[in-house]
This record gives sequence, structure tokens and C-alpha cells, in this order.
Amino acid sequence: MHVHSLTGASAAPILKLSRIFLPPANVDRRFIRDLTGALGSQAVLSAPEDMLLYDYDGSVEQARPDCVAFPRSRSDVVTIVELAAQYRLPLVGRGAGTGLSGGALAREGGVLVVFSRMNHILEIDAENRRAVVEPGVVNLDLSRAVDHLGLYFAPDPSSQKSCTIGGNVSENAGGPHTLAYGVTTNHVTGLEVVLPEGKIVRLGGKTEMPGYDLTGLLVGSEGTFALVTEITVKLSRKPEAVKTLLAIFDDIANAPETVAELTARAITPAACEMLDGWTLRAIEDFVHAGFPRDSAAVLLIEIEGLAESVEEQSAEVIDICNRNHAREVRLARDAAERDLLWKGRKNAFGAVGRLSPSYYVQDGVIPRTKLPETLKRIDEIGKKYGFQIGNIFHAGDGNLHPIILFDQRDRAQFDRAVAAAGEIMRHCVESGGALTGEHGVGMEKNELMPLMFSDADFDLMRRMRSAFNPEGRLNPGKIFPLGKSCGEIRVMPPAPVPA
Amino acid sequence: MNTATEAVALRIARAFSEAEVVGDAAVLERYEVDDLRPGAAIFPRSSADISDILQFAASEKMAVIACGSRTKLGIGSPPHKYDVALDLSRLNRVLSYEPRDLTLGVEPGVTISALSEVLAAENQFLPLDPPFAASATIGGIIASDSVSPLRQRFGGPRDFVLGMEFVTGYGAQSKSGGRVVKNVTGYDLHKPLIGSLGTLAVITRINLKTFPIPQSRAGFSIMVPKLSDVQMFFQAIADSPLEPIALAAFSSGAEISRSRSGSGSWNALAVTAGNDAVVTRYRRDFSTAVTRIPGAEMAELGPSEFNQNYEFVREFPRLAKESSASAVVFRIAALPAAIASVIERLQDALQRAEVNCDVLAHAFGLIYFAVLPDRNVAMDRLGALAAEVFQLVVDAGAQARIEFGPTALKRVTRVWGPARADFELMARVKRTFDPENILSPGRFVEGM
Repeated sequence: MHVHSLTGASAAPILKLSRIFLPPANVDRRFIRDLTGALGSQAVLSAPEDMLLYDYDGSVEQARPDCVAFPRSRSDVVTIVELAAQYRLPLVGRGAGTGLSGGALAREGGVLVVFSRMNHILEIDAENRRAVVEPGVVNLDLSRAVDHLGLYFAPDPSSQKSCTIGGNVSENAGGPHTLAYGVTTNHVTGLEVVLPEGKIVRLGGKTEMPGYDLTGLLVGSEGTFALVTEITVKLSRKPEAVKTLLAIFDDIANAPETVAELTARAITPAACEMLDGWTLRAIEDFVHAGFPRDSAAVLLIEIEGLAESVEEQSAEVIDICNRNHAREVRLARDAAERDLLWKGRKNAFGAVGRLSPSYYVQDGVIPRTKLPETLKRIDEIGKKYGFQIGNIFHAGDGNLHPIILFDQRDRAQFDRAVAAAGEIMRHCVESGGALTGEHGVGMEKNELMPLMFSDADFDLMRRMRSAFNPEGRLNPGKIFPLGKSCGEIRVMPPAPVPA
Repeated sequence: MNTATEAVALRIARAFSEAEVVGDAAVLERYEVDDLRPGAAIFPRSSADISDILQFAASEKMAVIACGSRTKLGIGSPPHKYDVALDLSRLNRVLSYEPRDLTLGVEPGVTISALSEVLAAENQFLPLDPPFAASATIGGIIASDSVSPLRQRFGGPRDFVLGMEFVTGYGAQSKSGGRVVKNVTGYDLHKPLIGSLGTLAVITRINLKTFPIPQSRAGFSIMVPKLSDVQMFFQAIADSPLEPIALAAFSSGAEISRSRSGSGSWNALAVTAGNDAVVTRYRRDFSTAVTRIPGAEMAELGPSEFNQNYEFVREFPRLAKESSASAVVFRIAALPAAIASVIERLQDALQRAEVNCDVLAHAFGLIYFAVLPDRNVAMDRLGALAAEVFQLVVDAGAQARIEFGPTALKRVTRVWGPARADFELMARVKRTFDPENILSPGRFVEGM
């Protein structure tokens, strides 16, 4: 049986030299026998060629598991976790494998727990606007399931057609509309988790609960505290009115200045995305979304809410765009035109993937007022390292996704791409921002963590990880700097000493 | 001063400069928590001071309770031990305010009223509109997860606190989150600090999102004959595209009544914000909703009526607490659709027991239920009533805790409600932050 049909779509695979070597799994065969005995042969994979399908995600990272298990229920998860505990094996949760920081890769081998078969919506409570789902439910499937009730699930990562809510919870995923509605953690009120010793615990629930906010602590812990088996989420009411504007600029500098003024003037669009000329042309060649090919940058701005408020706010937005020298501000005439613009935005990475053997998506955050200078700095860094860097930003909340185009088959290029990314990240942190806004640290940015955190911070975070995951078997090698080179082809620059 | 407290004051004074430590009994009386008086009060000026104090306290196994303006020290179970009051009122600076970024970083001792003035100068505000508004500090508001009526529209602190700096129980100066509006770098260690009553760490900086003050605001009073009508009105709003910034209901008359134990008419306060066209829309849609409820009436509130109603809603837990020394104020989290049924069960029980009560319900699913017995009520009777309230709330699928109540009651009652399976995990979190159990020991769930 082949399993890739079960795992949902993954991000575009990247050709990796190391794939030609297929070492045999180094996991105890008795473990595979016991696991297969408990779950059935349809629920376990361990052949080296099968592991190839699970050694990558949407990032530039790779790491091969020793075996893959497909639980169908929480009791399957407990079985897997208890057996892994007995054999002292690492455990790594995975949804659709769309993550962008290597969060769902088995960095130290062991068991990859793929939740694609736990994909049931368990409860829809429309009058209280809550839903209870299994972790393998695809993000957009939940919104589709409640669409007829006038409701939706607000977090909308670009991969929402394939990414799972379990993955969203682990990474605390965002998306364009988190500008107005918040990221995953703002929409999760309860979790059921399995701890590495096999114990099932419910945290939070449909309402606020007395006690520490463990749900808030677990969301975004990148699978290092527990495996999540059930998620209680808030549903949101679909807005009465939506206006989608496309502001077109001839000078790229005017776009971030427009965003800064929108923020300063206290206009909160539901989404405010920026694409530079190079990126939007790449998208047009692929999707034909309607972005003008001759422009230097566009802003995709969405205003939602009561009809009366949308009317006024969109007039203000148009005024601000015009005052910041927009060549033109177009209004999507209908849902089809709006969907097309968003299709362009959400397929940006796919569009870029057609133009280059590899690309490296960054996820830095800066204070919104620093957008104009940051755009200049990224341009300088691209020139310094000799890379085309495409710019696609959740501009409204200062979350940047510069895309570095390179050829991963060329080791020297890969190293330069990593160095260029490191400089962009340093700029973000030095500007008062953060290393990651929504993709997570994973095994991609862990060596950069000392830019933001002190020894005391790491010590406390390690203590907290140990409180849940004392043997460190849950998702090892993530978040914390290892201070050494890692992976088969991956070399990070040495972490700088914190000031 | 007895020998034990004297010793604490002496040891603290010896370890730190005299100017920062107070051992005067008259002063220390102000820092009492559930009849326990500390041996010393200390006034740190920096995170480094707090780190020194907590390292000393941890090595000496001294129990420390952090406080701001001391309005909510009565929340939680009685502490097991209390040696030092850590008064954070001198950490009262606004550390960074970037109006153009809508972000703010403040020390915990800043009062919400002082902060509101700073923000208003830039036409911004924080949706933290807490009880004890006249003196509450931002640190206390966050540490007790105070409820603002504006939670209806803006969510609670967990939705707009961006990050924190804090000192752990072992004296480490650490942090979590950041200063930008979107950030998933590292664990969200500040999330459990919200509402932790200072049992995990001492907060030294809070970074928050700020919000633009809406163009205009309007308040509507909706008077309905019965409790089920309140539910109907709340549901009508929930099913509509309307998003009032506050929506709460209370039994008629904006004052804590000592004679309301059941039936009677209800008042809903709906606050809207936006431009004139938006307010007009709300007026129209509210009227339509009201005409569907027999006997219901609606009035738009003038400025003074609005203030009176809004302050009552905001200050309800304080007013209920201050109405009587024997008042027990429950904070109950319920599903929005279950609000009326929870209240009805509780009111029926109190009516059967012939004890007065009063209630305030926020439409987002939070109820303050005040049990208002006679001043000379026997503690075992009050304990039995509290147990009944907890049971009824559990049966209705809701969650309750005692926010305020007489110390004697709190000593014999599970203030935090029935035990849950995740309390064991909470104990792990507590041990991680505060391994020597010196921070407010005993005030939190399961005696943490």
C-alpha cells in the first residue's frame, strides 16, 4: 500500500542529493513487530523506500523517520506512545507535512505519528460557536463544514486547503486574515493531549476554566510537550460585507509607507498583504490573478464587517493609497474576482517554485513602522549575496516572507542562502521584532534563537519542556539551539553570542 | 510585632537597603491577605531588585506575595504562608509606547487610569476596563485576569498581551513573547501567567496591543420581563452580524440589591462603537430584535445614565464584594447559550434557601453570581450553599470559582471548584517556575 494518497498534499518536494542513499531503518525490529501487531499492518510503514515520502516538509529541511504510524483514534495514539516509551524512541507528530520550519520532521529518527486518518469533525455547536475536531481535520474542511451556518474557522494559512488543524495548533499558525482576527491560539479553547508516558489529559474546554492557561502554553509548543488528539476551537461569524482592494504602485517604496499610514490612522483591515513586482509577475505567469505585470508593488487589502463600516473604511483606505501615490486602486467587483486575487496570493510559493530549483521562505516579524527601511535592507542583502529575493508580506502585522531563490544542488549556494536568511533575521530582531511570526522555529531557526533569548530564558524553556516531556523524546532537536551543524547537508552559521 | 515577623523584617532589612524595606505594623496591616500579615513589605525598583529578593526568599524559604494597589488580594484560596509583601507600585513606568505601531510596554505598577490618560493623548485605549478601575494596576489586572465588559468584542488579555518579562520563583529574569503583534518564537510562557495570581513569577514588564478609540459610542438599555428574554436577546445578537463592544444583563436597577433573589425584570446594556451610520444601524437592528420579545422596551442612554449603567456592569464584582462582609461572589464561565439556565438554577436554589443573591451576566459567557446572606450567617451554612452552587454549575456544564468570599468560608471550601485531571499538569508548571514554592503559596488551585 502506498501512503502518500492518505497524507494530503505536501509542499513541493525539493530535489535532495542525499535521497539516493537509503540506509536501513535503525529502529528495533521488535518495535515494528509489536506496533504492527497492535495497530495492524495497514497502519504502520517502515520500508526505507516508504520513509522517503516522510523525510521532507514545506521547508528546506529533511530528516528521515524510522517508521511511520497512522493512528485512527486516541487509543491508537496511546498504544503508539506507550510502545515508543517502552523502546525509548522519539515521537514526532505530523499532519499534512506542509510546515515551513521542519517541525514535522523526525530529526532524530524514531516514530512519525501521522494524524491524517484522525480527520473527523466530532462536534459542531453552532449556537455557542464552537467545534470539536480531531487533529487531522484539514483547516479549510472545517470552514466548509460550517459554511451553511454562516460560520467559519478564522485562521487561514496559505496552505489551508491541505494543512491540518493539528499542525496549526502545534505551530500556532497564522495567515493573511490573522491581522484582524488573531492567530490559531486566539481560536483554540481546549485540547485533549497524550503525554509521552501515555497519559490522556484534557486541557481547557469550550469555556474559560479555572487554573493556569495550559491550552495557551501548549498551542505553538511545536509538538515538544504532548501529542494532540482533540481540539476545541472557536468558530467565527462570516462578515456581512467584504471589500477587496488592489492598490497598484509604480514605486515599491510607496507600498510600505501606505501600510505604515493605515496602521497609524488606526484602520484595521481584515488583511493587508504586499507583493513586490517580481513576485506578482511570477504569480501572473502561473495563476493569472489579475495583478498588473508592469507595477512595482501591490497591496491586497480586505475590509470586512458591517456594510456601513466597510463602506466608510474602504473610502479611507482608497484615500490613503492615493495620497501615497498609488497608480490605481481597483475594487474586486464580485466574489469571483476577489477569489482570484486571493488565489494569486495563496499560490505565491507555488508560483515561485516554478522559477527556481529551490526557494527558501523566511518568516521574520518587524514593528510595522519599520517596513520601508526593512524592504531596503532586504534588497541590499539580496545584492550582497547575489540572490533574487522576492517579497511577499503580511504587511499589516509586519510579518515578512522574503523568498530567496537558489539552487540547493549547489552546496555553496545553499550556504549563501542560509547566510542571507540569517542576515534578514538579524535585521528583524535588531528592529525589535521576532524570528518567526507563524511558521515556527523547528529545526530551521533554532540556531538563531540566541538572537532573542538569554541563557536564563533557554533554561526556563528547557525546564518547561522537561515538565511535560522529561526524556526529551517528543520532537527532539527542535526549537533549542544545538550549537552544532546538523542534518546531512545543512550547515548553519555559528550562533552569535547574545549581547 | 511578634518575634517571627520581626525576624523576617530584620533579615530582609539586613539583606537589602533599609529604605526599601518596611516593617512597621501599621503599614503591614494594609498588606494582609486573608487575615495573614507579612513580616515585611519591600519596594523594589527594578527587575534586578526583584531577582535579588526572590533568590534570598527562595534560599530562606520565605513566602512572597506580589501586589500593586492591593485591590484583589482577596482572590484565591487563603495563602499557606506569607512572609514578605512585594509591593510593585514603584515599578510604574511606561517603558515604550509606539502609537504608530499600536504597541505598548509597561511596568506592572502603572495604574490603568494613568495608562488610559497616556493612551488617550494618542486617541488609543486598552480594552482592559476592569473592576476597581479607580486604583487597579496593570500587573494586578493581568495577574488576576480581571474581566472587562469589552471582552465581548476584544477578547481577554490572552488575546492582546504580546509578551512579558518576569522573575521566576528561583530569581531568574526571563521573558516570553515579544513586542510585535505576531510572534511564535519560543514557548508562550506568559500565557499561564495571566490569571496566575502571582503564583508562578513576578511580572516586571507587559507588552500589549493598543486599539484606536472608536469615532463614537452609544449605549442602549433593553428592559425585558424575564430571564429567558435576556437569553433570547443575546442569541439574536449572536446570530446577527452585529458586534457590540459590550453586552451584559443584570436584574433591574443599577445597584446591588439585598432583596433580589429571583423573578423580576431584567436590564441588558448594549454598547456599540463605530461611525454614525454604524450606530444608526445598531439602533435599528436592536429595535427589531426587541419588538420580537413581548413586553420588551429599549432606550438609548444619555451620557450620565450610560456612565451609571456601564460602571455598574464593570464594577459589579467589587460592588458585590463590598456590599457585605459575608458576600460570596462566584465567577462562572458558561457557554453563551447556557447563561439563562445556569442563572435560573442558582436563583431557584437560593430562593429555596431563602438567601438573597444578585447576578450579572456577560453575553460572551461569564456570570458573576453574588450570594448575599445575612451578616451573621453560620459558616457551615454558607459552606453548604457554596457547595450547592458549585454542584449546580457543574451539572449545567459550566465552571465556577469563588472570586471573593469571607476568609472563614475560603478555609473550608474548594475556592477553585472541583478537582480536574489537568491540575496535576498545572502543578508541574508551578514547580517549573517556582520550585521552592515561595510565590503566593496556597492561593491557587489545589493549594499551589
